[in-house]
Amino acid sequence: MTTTTAPPLFDAAFVRKLDRLALLTRHAMLGETQGERRSPRRGSSVEFADFRPYTVGDDIRQIDWNLYARMERFFLKLFVAEEELSIHLLVDNSASMAWGDPDKLHFARQAAGAFGYIALSSLDRVTVTAFANEGGRVLPSVRGKRGAFPLFDFLQKLPVGRGGSFAEACRRYARTARNPGPLLLCSDLMDPQWEEGLRALTTRPFEITVIHTLAPQEIEPTLEGDFRLLDAEGGEPIEITADLETLRRYQEGLRQWRGEIESFCSGRGIAYIFADTAIPIEEFVLTHMRRRGAIR
Amino acid sequence: MSFLAPLALLSAAVIGPIIVAMYLLKLRREERTVSSTFLWKKMVRDVEANAPWQKLRRNILLLLQLLILALLAFALARPFFRTTGIAGKNLIVIIDRSESMGATDANGTRLDAAKQQAIALIDQLPDGGRATVIAAGGQMDVPASSSSDRRQLRDAIQGIQLRYSGSDLAQALTLASALASHEAESEVAVLSDGNASVPADLQVPATVRFFPVGSRDANLAVSALTLESSAAGQTMFAQVSNYGTAEASRRLDIYLDGELFNAYSLQIKPGQSASQTVEVPAAVHTVEARLDASDEDAQPLDDRAWAVSNAGEGSRIRIVGPGNRFLETALARLPNIQVTRMPTSTTTFTETAAQVPLTILDGVVPAQLPPGNLFFIAPPRSTAFFSVTGQVEFPALHPSTGEDALLRYVTLSDVHVRRATALVPGAWARTVVDGDGGPMLVAGEYEGRRIVVLSFSTHNSDLPLQVAFPLLISNVVSYLVPGSGADAAQIAPGQPLALPVDDSITAVRVTKPDGGVVEAVRESGQAIFADTTQPGPYVVEQYQGQKLVGRIRYAANLFSASESTIAPKSQLAIAQASGLQQAETQEQNRVGRQEIWRWLAAVALAVLVIEWLVYQRSGIAYLRERLLRRRSQPIR
Repeated sequence: MTTTTAPPLFDAAFVRKLDRLALLTRHAMLGETQGERRSPRRGSSVEFADFRPYTVGDDIRQIDWNLYARMERFFLKLFVAEEELSIHLLVDNSASMAWGDPDKLHFARQAAGAFGYIALSSLDRVTVTAFANEGGRVLPSVRGKRGAFPLFDFLQKLPVGRGGSFAEACRRYARTARNPGPLLLCSDLMDPQWEEGLRALTTRPFEITVIHTLAPQEIEPTLEGDFRLLDAEGGEPIEITADLETLRRYQEGLRQWRGEIESFCSGRGIAYIFADTAIPIEEFVLTHMRRRGAIR
Repeated sequence: MSFLAPLALLSAAVIGPIIVAMYLLKLRREERTVSSTFLWKKMVRDVEANAPWQKLRRNILLLLQLLILALLAFALARPFFRTTGIAGKNLIVIIDRSESMGATDANGTRLDAAKQQAIALIDQLPDGGRATVIAAGGQMDVPASSSSDRRQLRDAIQGIQLRYSGSDLAQALTLASALASHEAESEVAVLSDGNASVPADLQVPATVRFFPVGSRDANLAVSALTLESSAAGQTMFAQVSNYGTAEASRRLDIYLDGELFNAYSLQIKPGQSASQTVEVPAAVHTVEARLDASDEDAQPLDDRAWAVSNAGEGSRIRIVGPGNRFLETALARLPNIQVTRMPTSTTTFTETAAQVPLTILDGVVPAQLPPGNLFFIAPPRSTAFFSVTGQVEFPALHPSTGEDALLRYVTLSDVHVRRATALVPGAWARTVVDGDGGPMLVAGEYEGRRIVVLSFSTHNSDLPLQVAFPLLISNVVSYLVPGSGADAAQIAPGQPLALPVDDSITAVRVTKPDGGVVEAVRESGQAIFADTTQPGPYVVEQYQGQKLVGRIRYAANLFSASESTIAPKSQLAIAQASGLQQAETQEQNRVGRQEIWRWLAAVALAVLVIEWLVYQRSGIAYLRERLLRRRSQPIR
């Protein structure tokens, strides 16, 4: 287990660009404390929402006296509550992620950082969870732009864990997470039980975005000859004779797998974004994520 | 199968394990860490559906390498099969190309079979071996001499053509002996049907092996065909002989100048002959006798014969002398001869050699000799051709031992001579009959003229009273006037035609049996045409400018009983230094070696190429993919 002293996540210019962005949620979500987002609850903003009859115990300051003058009955004037959102960042920091050139884990950090920063700048609450075995970390929750420093610091120092069951991690998170809200999952999904994991997350009303991170070496391997492939997470090694035919089969399998994930996600309202780590993070956030409607 | 170098097989035992060991070493795969084997596992699961082939494919390079090794080791061991053939390093192949080899009882003709066998012998020649190819029959040819170039030898053998001639192996065997005596490990292979004459006194200093060809003996042949003037015009005489061992009945067709004239059915017992005499019109020039084609006849080449007539175009002969009744009687009996007598005192001769080809000078030598060929009888004084030194009384006659054409059918043993001229001929002359004190009969060619000198007068000998005289005169006239005489129009295939021509003749053209017209070569007063190998009628025409001044016909036939007797022999008696009297046939002991290492090496090479392709298969697949992709791209 190593503690990475990774390079800074972004430069200042990119951070400024992030300032102009905001998270998009598809529907209003419950929050805990007052924030800047519409909440399904009624609260104390300036925006009118509804009336309701007074019942004993209600705050009399909220009675609409103009209406009482007209109707001679007490009505409470309700305003739209503006609350903060809880943004969940799930980063897969298992050993398989610390591979590739550019590094997948670094890419995931950057993506999570960018997403988190955007959330913080709109006064949302951000929780980061890295769920690898022996490398699991949780950044409890930060709020406001002040929270950007702990967020970046946490992500930068995020160690590489060992393997671990992706599905189990997801299940645990779904069980324990409070305040479901937008959830960003950065993983390579290289787990036979990826489907179980995603399904577990959908049991709670998260609004899930999956950033499927793969290194170019995985998308288009350049192997030639006889190899014994060792699993970075300590799985069973496998012997292959790589020739053009084998590589063709591999890519066929990869394409099929991506197709499976995509159709699984679209069937369950999960936003699926495929990320090739060769794409610079700036381009990825500003172009790809925007195009997929994750941010505005 | 045996091996020349069996120890080479050990190399396989040594190198084989090395290859396997290297392969096992190579099998230790390079280790590579990947993020996850998840996707690879997925792929391998798909692939393992056809696992046995995959397993084999993994080892196919090893298997191919071991196969190459096995082939090469096998080739190095030089395996060979024992075959019918030869074992020596210096091979002399004698191929009989006589007429009897044209029999079609082998696969193709016997000559084809002999060629095949010869090529098989060349193929099993050991490395570094050399071979000489001799074609016997007719004039001997050596198309390939002491060559180790198999291609050249094969070409030489393939180039051998059938000759319409007898098969005399004497010359070929003499040459073979000379070649064999130079080199050790020589071997002579004779490829023939066995119908060949072998000299009795020759001993070949090498092993001689005889490879017989041919299987059947059934053969009918036109054995004689003549055309002679008669009272009613001309008489054709045809003789058909059965040289086989079974009775045969065939049809004989007679063609006159190319038109079918008559057909006769002949029934002939084995060893017997049937003859047919037919009166034909005087105007007929060419007669062809042809036996109808039959499967029972293995030799079709002798089923046709030709005879020609030069009637109406006879040669003129003049006699200068006091008059000689014996001579004139003998000449009068010769066909197509017109005799002119001239007195002894004649001194100038105006006719050209084309008009009068022969002058007989009977006891006279004019100051100015006439043009054309000359026949001197008892010349009284010396000429440019010979010197007369005196007289010889009662000389004994010694005919030459060889077969001289002038002495054909002639026996001179009972001839007595009272007085003869003592002659000293020039270097041009050959002595046909020798005698005490000088030659009695000489003949030869000098400056394009043929000259015969008889040293005694007919009046001083009992020769004119004997049967030999008209035959001798006939032979002499045939020699001096080609194209006259009883069978002068018959030539053997390959025998050159020579005609005396004088300077007024501008061209001599020969029409061959196949219709081709060839200009004859002129050389010192003679027109010579040597390409008479094709049997059939030849027409020789002499031109003065555009004017045809003389036409002589010849028929080339090989009337040879020995060549028509085609029964193959399995043994050929050739005396050899090894003590054997018989050239062995090879069925009893197989000494030939057929080496096959070249084939093994070739196969190994092919497998090597395959191995390389298998090794580079992904590269090849890559190239193919690129090619396909490029093809599918639209042309901009």
